[in-house]
Amino acid sequence: MNDTRNPERLHQDFEAVWGNPRGWRALSAVNHSSIGLRFMVTGTLFFLIGGLLAMLLRVQLARPDLPLIDPRTYSQLFTMHGSVMMFLFAVPMVEGLAVYLIPKMLGARDLVFPRLSAFGYWCYLFGGVILVSSLALGLAPAGGWFMYVPLSGDAHSPGVNPDFWLLGITFVEISSVAGGIELVVSILRSRAPGMSLDRMPLFAWYILVTGLMIVFGFPPLILGSILLELERAAGFAFFDVARGGDPLLWQHLFWLFGHPEVYIIFLPAAGIVSTLLPVFARRPAVGYRWLVLAVIGTGFLSFGLWVHHMFTVGIPLLGQAFFSAASMLVAVPTGIQVFAWLATLWTGRPLFNVPMLWLAGFLVIFVAGGLTGVMLALVPFDWQVHDTHFVVAHMHYVLVGGMLFPLVAGLYYWLPHFSGRLPSAQLGRWGFWLTFVGFNATFLVMHWTGLLGMPRRVYTYQAGLGWDLPNLVSSVGSFVMAMGVVMVLLDIGLHFRFGRRAGDNPWRADSLEWATALPPASYNFVSLPACTGRHPLWENPALGRGIAEGRHGLSIVDHGRRETWGSDPLTGQVREIIHLPGNSWLPLYAALVLTLVCLSLLNGAYALAGVAALATLGILLRWSWVNGAHPLAAPDERTQPGDPPLHSRTFDGPGLWGMGTALLANGVLFFSLIFAWFYLWTVAPKWRPPAQSPLPELPLLLDGLLLTAIVLGFHRLVRRLRRGEQRRLEAGLWTLAGLGLLQAAWLARILVAMPLAPAASAHDALIATTLGYLLLHCALAPLFSALQAWRVCLGLVGERAPYEPAVVLQWWDYCLLVFWVSYFALVLFPRGIGA
Amino acid sequence: MLLAGCGGPQSTLAPDGPAAQAAAWLWWGMFVWFGLVLLLVASLWLVAWRRRPRSYDAEQARQVGLRWILAGGVLLPGLSILVLLAFGIPLGLRMLPLPLGGPPPLRIEVTGHQWWWEVRYPETGVVTANQLILPVGQPVDLELASADVIHAFWVPRLGGKLDMLPGRRLTMRLRADRAGPYRGQCAEFCGSQHAHMVLAVEALEMADFNAWQAARRVEPAVAREHAAAVRAFRPYCGECHRVAGISDGRRAPDLSDVGARPGLGAGTLEMEQGAMRRWLREHQRLKPYNGMPRHDRLPEDTLDAIAAWLETLVP
Repeated sequence: MNDTRNPERLHQDFEAVWGNPRGWRALSAVNHSSIGLRFMVTGTLFFLIGGLLAMLLRVQLARPDLPLIDPRTYSQLFTMHGSVMMFLFAVPMVEGLAVYLIPKMLGARDLVFPRLSAFGYWCYLFGGVILVSSLALGLAPAGGWFMYVPLSGDAHSPGVNPDFWLLGITFVEISSVAGGIELVVSILRSRAPGMSLDRMPLFAWYILVTGLMIVFGFPPLILGSILLELERAAGFAFFDVARGGDPLLWQHLFWLFGHPEVYIIFLPAAGIVSTLLPVFARRPAVGYRWLVLAVIGTGFLSFGLWVHHMFTVGIPLLGQAFFSAASMLVAVPTGIQVFAWLATLWTGRPLFNVPMLWLAGFLVIFVAGGLTGVMLALVPFDWQVHDTHFVVAHMHYVLVGGMLFPLVAGLYYWLPHFSGRLPSAQLGRWGFWLTFVGFNATFLVMHWTGLLGMPRRVYTYQAGLGWDLPNLVSSVGSFVMAMGVVMVLLDIGLHFRFGRRAGDNPWRADSLEWATALPPASYNFVSLPACTGRHPLWENPALGRGIAEGRHGLSIVDHGRRETWGSDPLTGQVREIIHLPGNSWLPLYAALVLTLVCLSLLNGAYALAGVAALATLGILLRWSWVNGAHPLAAPDERTQPGDPPLHSRTFDGPGLWGMGTALLANGVLFFSLIFAWFYLWTVAPKWRPPAQSPLPELPLLLDGLLLTAIVLGFHRLVRRLRRGEQRRLEAGLWTLAGLGLLQAAWLARILVAMPLAPAASAHDALIATTLGYLLLHCALAPLFSALQAWRVCLGLVGERAPYEPAVVLQWWDYCLLVFWVSYFALVLFPRGIGA
Repeated sequence: MLLAGCGGPQSTLAPDGPAAQAAAWLWWGMFVWFGLVLLLVASLWLVAWRRRPRSYDAEQARQVGLRWILAGGVLLPGLSILVLLAFGIPLGLRMLPLPLGGPPPLRIEVTGHQWWWEVRYPETGVVTANQLILPVGQPVDLELASADVIHAFWVPRLGGKLDMLPGRRLTMRLRADRAGPYRGQCAEFCGSQHAHMVLAVEALEMADFNAWQAARRVEPAVAREHAAAVRAFRPYCGECHRVAGISDGRRAPDLSDVGARPGLGAGTLEMEQGAMRRWLREHQRLKPYNGMPRHDRLPEDTLDAIAAWLETLVP
């Protein structure tokens, strides 16, 4: 393995296993580089659409009382501007960059769930197209990107406009959550040998925290969207005061997502800063541990701040003081990062180039935005400027300064990766200065407009309020900024043709993504090096050559498997070989049938939606079939002497972690539902629980005990399998699947027999939704178990490939948890408080 | 020059009441302090970037980093936050409608509608719309509610904003320190005509305020020349609009004193000669999607007669 081999020959061998198909078959590609690039190109297109909408808004506001845009259209434009920029540009763009970079930085060949990345991309593309098509159809949502009820409810927004938002955004969020899960598990489980957590590149830390935040942050909004869609389409009561609901519930669910969202966008960009700055300052990042702690701290704090978007809804004083202080506290981890960056620059030998220019722009704009953020956290001041143009200015300082500027710096920095060429200097400088000046002209003045009392989201204003001049300046500035953006895109476009060829590691960077060829091959690295420190390429500048010559691990590919190391989450020691699935059409098919679900729901064709949902399930199960000892998953199970086993031959594959992380996200969704129950119970002005609970206690209790028995049985099966006993595995699985079916059917009967009126009371609507959720999970568990039994029968699962039942076991455990928490919340809690 | 730029009928920086005054002081204080912080950070960056580099070994770099992180990342934000909260929390507390020593403040109910304001004085039964008349120098408790979607009550020169939520009634305490007009505007997006939901506020000396209320308790008499207009108004407009003694609609603004208001359509038109006529003919062009139907079915002269009569509704 350590002898030098012909790099050209090695390349051909690896390309045969890893390469993308050509022509239209390229749609079946799952390679992370291709998927990451697709994310970024698509994100850029949506950015241009979102930017165009902003231009239209600025034209309408340039002068007082302009009659150019109809007020309803104006509402659609700003709703779509916000939604497109947040959901279709910012999050997918940073996720796409991470999908592209993370495996390369970790010294891996791909992410651990390549088909999931492809699926995520298609969901994003189709969801985005559905959402944006509403604009072309004149049916765009018009309730603001925050979709407050009751304005976006059935009574005040009839028609499909809000449904476009709810369904389209949820579709896109599936993609975000899939990406989040994938990045978290890949970072934890597929690092280069010896890359312990404290040797990990800072960017990977930022993405790890971001991924976890996505997993925890997006589900509340997904739940909110489901509840609102249920209210709109099926008449369920959740947000209607008269029926025991509360519009503030929507605001809590929205901002429980919405605030972490801001940091989900900012942290990857800050990760770009922490990656580029040390390279251009020629000094390892000062305060590595401080930076890591700051990132983790920001992640934690960001979940405790959401109420600062709601200071004007009459929250009790103590709550306001708490959320006010917590919001200001974010200044501490942010300050730590800023001063660590400054110290890196101060102690380094900084270069002066285009990416650094963008980083300088970032620093000024972002720090200004952060400081106005602290101002806004002060409640009595927020009462004045909340929902004015001051907030619009603040938020663009934070988001454009905090995300767009580092992103452009990062794009320039990683350009050689995409094209093999270096960017020009002149056009790039013009692009920066136009964007920087245009941005500040637009938004610096806008703080003033807000202080002068101009509210947000007004389509026009009268002359004589002092708002005319600042609005004109903002509008002119926005066009200057647009020219800057065009200049940057032009520069990047032209460089693909005219840029100088980049040699190896053109910036003299330290991290492993620069040890690949430029542009990198589909497999990234012919051989996988061990990691000896935080700055592999500074420690060994010749590493790239050795990799290409096959001097490091896993350099044999004649078995036809796509392989990368599976490592210990803490120490990075190798534990197994992860073998990855190849190109597949299933992600595209699954996303297509999901699109059909989405479109039929939009058109009220619920039967068709049901059929399409079943088809989706079928495709996903087919997808899961090619796993374990399936000949397509691992054509050849032999490994080199001295190498660890294939992951499917252990109890430790990434699927276990994937299921765990997915259930974490699912659990957040479920706990948001339980939160809704307790929230309405304590806060809703007209919440009236019935004198007699509609829930039949005893049958539910017995059903739960049956479920508990099944889960205990499943644990026993998996324990025996761990000891290598396969005897009676199949029979056991069939039995448990049968019992599970019985349990689910019983639950269904209880649900149907209950006298619930979900359209008349929020109380019944929440019970119906919770039990429906429970039933869905309990119904899927026996299905998964029966498939396992069948796989045992076919020899795809067993002592030779034992780990799938452990994955299914997590699902069962989750059902059990959900069942008893629901039982506590729905049955015991009301009885306990004597309702 | 700077202060001249702060003015404007709706400017938070031209305060005329204690709540707005406190918020304005907070702004200026934070503006100065955070301006300095921004200047410091930006200059540090520029100097670090452009100065002639000195060479630091790893240990020296660590020392510099630690000092900077502790000073700039922990101490600076930590102290700023403490100072801010020390000022902010007591100021915020004083803005709340807590019980006062003396007699309870005057109560006024303000209800948000898409897209107009309903204003009621429960103690006297006076009802008006799109205008709020206050006594000067007295704390007033505004009871805020909504009839449909979420709105927010905001008169920037008097104080901060508070949401108007369906199913809830929140109380806001305001005091105007000077007699004169103020401008308020809905501050929570409430649909297509959120921009045209303006509230004309006027603070009157106590005697004037009492006189204003008293005048509105007298039912207006209809002059003979307007009898036809009233006959047309009652079935056609009276279903939605109330005019004291004539019709009792509740869905749309009360018009009992519409002739005495400073504007029409919640700030869409200023009240001047011919404004009422123009509003009745062109309201869907001036304020598209507002709740009032077009009046195409009414003959022009009837519409003009109604407009002429409404202009006379000045208590």
